[in-house]
Amino acid sequence: MTDRTQGAPQGAPLHHVSEGGPQGPPLLQVRGLRTYFYTESGIAKAVDGVDLDIAHGEVLGLVGESGSGKSVTALSILRLIPDPPGRIVEGEILYKGRDLIKLSWEEIREIRGNEISMVFQEPMTSLNPVFTIGMQVMEVIQAHEDVSRHEAYRRAVEILKEVGIPDPEQRMKQYPHHFSGGQRQRVMIAIALVLNPSLLIADEPTTALDVTIQAQILDLMLEMKQRRAGASILLITHNLAVVAETCDRVAVMYGGKIQEIASIDVLFQSPFHPYTHGLLGSIPSVDGPKAKRLTVIPGSVPDIYRLPVGCKFVTRCPYAFEPCPDIEPPLIEDAPGHWVRCHLYPNGGKPAVPPPDHVKRGPGPVDPADRP
Amino acid sequence: MGNAEPALDNLDHVPADLAASMTPPPTTTLPPTESLFGKRLRKFQRLKRGYYSFLVVVVAYVVSFFLPLIANNIALVVHYNGGYYFPLVRYHSAGAFGQAAFGDPDYRALTQQFAAAGNGNWVLMPPIPYGPDESLLDLPGTPPNPPSFAHPFGTDDRGRDVLVRLAYGFNISLTFALLVALVGNLLGISVGATLGYFGGRIDIFGQRGIEIWSSLPFLYVVIIISSVIVPIYSPGRYQLLQPSLWLLVVILAAFDWMGITYYIRGEFYREKAKDYVGAAIATGVSEPGIMFRHILPNALTPVVSFAPFEIVANISALVALDFLGFGLPAPTPSWGELIGQGMENLTKWWLVFYPLGVLFLTLLLVVFIGEAIREAFDPKEFSRLR
Repeated sequence: MTDRTQGAPQGAPLHHVSEGGPQGPPLLQVRGLRTYFYTESGIAKAVDGVDLDIAHGEVLGLVGESGSGKSVTALSILRLIPDPPGRIVEGEILYKGRDLIKLSWEEIREIRGNEISMVFQEPMTSLNPVFTIGMQVMEVIQAHEDVSRHEAYRRAVEILKEVGIPDPEQRMKQYPHHFSGGQRQRVMIAIALVLNPSLLIADEPTTALDVTIQAQILDLMLEMKQRRAGASILLITHNLAVVAETCDRVAVMYGGKIQEIASIDVLFQSPFHPYTHGLLGSIPSVDGPKAKRLTVIPGSVPDIYRLPVGCKFVTRCPYAFEPCPDIEPPLIEDAPGHWVRCHLYPNGGKPAVPPPDHVKRGPGPVDPADRP
Repeated sequence: MGNAEPALDNLDHVPADLAASMTPPPTTTLPPTESLFGKRLRKFQRLKRGYYSFLVVVVAYVVSFFLPLIANNIALVVHYNGGYYFPLVRYHSAGAFGQAAFGDPDYRALTQQFAAAGNGNWVLMPPIPYGPDESLLDLPGTPPNPPSFAHPFGTDDRGRDVLVRLAYGFNISLTFALLVALVGNLLGISVGATLGYFGGRIDIFGQRGIEIWSSLPFLYVVIIISSVIVPIYSPGRYQLLQPSLWLLVVILAAFDWMGITYYIRGEFYREKAKDYVGAAIATGVSEPGIMFRHILPNALTPVVSFAPFEIVANISALVALDFLGFGLPAPTPSWGELIGQGMENLTKWWLVFYPLGVLFLTLLLVVFIGEAIREAFDPKEFSRLR
C-alpha cells in the first residue's frame, strides 16, 4: 500500500511495443517530469510527474483535454518552457543516454531542430513574414551543419519537393503570405525534417487546418516517417480520430499526469481508466442509434492551482470511492503494455468498469434500424 | 463509390474527339515574388508628393558633395605656360602662376590677368566662382551687401556669399542630421532590443536608467560641454577634444536615442511572443540570430517611419545650437549662424529671408517624405471603423 503513493518506480520499463521493433533502450525516456508555472495566482502544476517512453520508430499519441499538460510536456522535452514563469523543477528526460534537462543552452540548441524537432499548431504564424520560404528552410540546415550555401539550397529544394510543394525552385523565392495554411504546414514539416531528426514532436499539427487538409498533413507526416527508418513521432492532439488513424500507442493525460498508456488497439477495445471511458464515450458515433444524446464527462477540468490531492479525476469520476480523494494512485501495469493510474486496478487485466456503449459493442455490423 | 473513382484517372474510355477538345490544365502561373518591404516601397513610389520630395532631397544631397566643383573660389583647371594645373587636387601658391603675392592665388584675378595678357594661358573657374569662407571685400559699400546679379542672395556681415554658404550648409546640415539619426538609432535599437528581448529585471532597471538619463536637461549639458571644450589652437594637442562636427554628433546622439528605445522595446516584446520566434528557437537558431535576424526586421517599422522626422528634428537642433553659438566652430558654413546674423541685422532682409526660406523648404520636403513613408508603412489601408 505504501508503494501505491509513490508512482512508477524509477527506471521501470514502460516500453512494451517490442514486437518487431528494434531492441535496446527506448529513444526517449521521460521520468518524473514536473514543470511548474509560478504565477501571481499561485503555482500551476501543469506537468506533475510524467513518465513516458518513446520507442524507436513508433508514433506515440498524447491525448487529453485542454490544460491537461500535453503541450507543456512536449515543450519541456525541448526545454522551450518560458522561464519565468515556467520551470522544470524535477525529473529527467533521457535522450540517447543524455539528460536533456542537464544540458547547457548551447548543447540543447544543437539538439533542437537537428535531433528533435517540432511542428506547431499554427502554420499561419509559425513562419517569419519577412523572409522567403527558401531562406527559412536553409537557415535550419546552416544553423546545424557546416555546409555551403549551394548545398543548403539543393537540400532545401529537395525537402520541399519531398513534402509535396510543387515547383519548389520557384516557391523557394516566395514569402509566407503566398502560401496557404496547408502548404505552410508542409513547409513547417519540411523545416522540421530536413535534418532527419530521430524524434518529431507534433503539437496539434492539424488543429488549425481545414478538415480536408488535415488528413493530407497526417499522411504526409507518416509517409515522411516511413522514409526515415527509426524516426519516432510524438503526436499531441485532443482528436481521438487522429490518434486512431496514426498512432501505435496512446498516452492519456489528465491533471498533469499520465492516466493510461496502451497500444492503440487495446485502448480503443478495452479502455481501463474511467477518464478514458469518458473520452471515448464523448466521440460522436456514426453507427450509434439515431437520436441518442452524446455522453459527456460531467463537470469541468479542475482548477490548475487547486488540483485534488489524490486522484486528479476524482471530482468528475462516477466510480470514485473511499481512497480516491486522498491517495494518488500509482501508474501500474495491469495487462502487458497496458498501464493505468486508478485505484480500481489491478483487476486481472480486464476493465473494472463497463466501457461506454459503442465501445462495448465494438466494431461490427450495424443494425439497419439505427441508420439515419 | 469505390468503383467510380478510378474512372476519373483513366481517360482511355473518353472518345478521341472529346479528348482532343479538352484543353490541358493551364500551366500554373505563380504570383510575382514580392517581399513586404517591396510592397511598401511600391506604395511609397505611388505617393507622388513624398516620392518626388525624396528624389529632390536625394539628388540635392548627392550634388552637394560636388559643391567644390560648382561653387568655389579655387579654379578647376589652370593652363599656364603650356602646363595644366588642377588646384583642387594639389595646392599651388600664388607665385606658381606669376602672381605677385604670397599664399593662395586669387584665381578670379588670374582669369582676368591671363585674358588681358592674351598669351594662350587660361583659367577654368567653377560656375559660381565664390568660396564659402571667402570674404568679398571688393564689393561696393560695406558688408552685408544686398543681392545683386553676381550675388543673388547677397552677402553676410563678413562679405561672404550667402547662396554659397547656404549650399554648403545644406550638405553639413543633412550630413549632421543623418549621422545623429544613425548613431542615435543604433544605440536606441540595441538598448531597446536588449530590454524587450530579455525583459524582467534588465528591462525594469534599464528603463529607470533611461528615464534618469532623459531627465538631464539637454541644452545645459551642451552649454557646459561647449564651455569646457573650447578651441585650443596648439597643433597636435587635444585634437580629439576640439569642437567639431563629430563631437556635436556624439553629444546630440547621446541625448537623442531614448525615444526610439521605447518603440523597439515594445516591438520586441510583441514580436518575441509570436509563433515564428518560438518555431525558430525550436529549430535551434542561436539567441543573437533570433534577436537580430528574426525579430529585428519585423520591428523596424517605427525606425523607418520616424527617421524623416528625426532628421527634421536634428536639422532644427543644429540650427538652434548654431543660432545660440554652441554649435559648429566658425567658420563652418551653417544655417543657424546665418539666421543669427539675420536676427542681428533685421533690416538686411536677405539675411533673414533666404536662410529661413531654405530651412523651411528643406524641412517641408523631409516632412513630405516622412508623411509618405508613414502612409506606405501603415498596415491599415482602409479602416473599417469609420
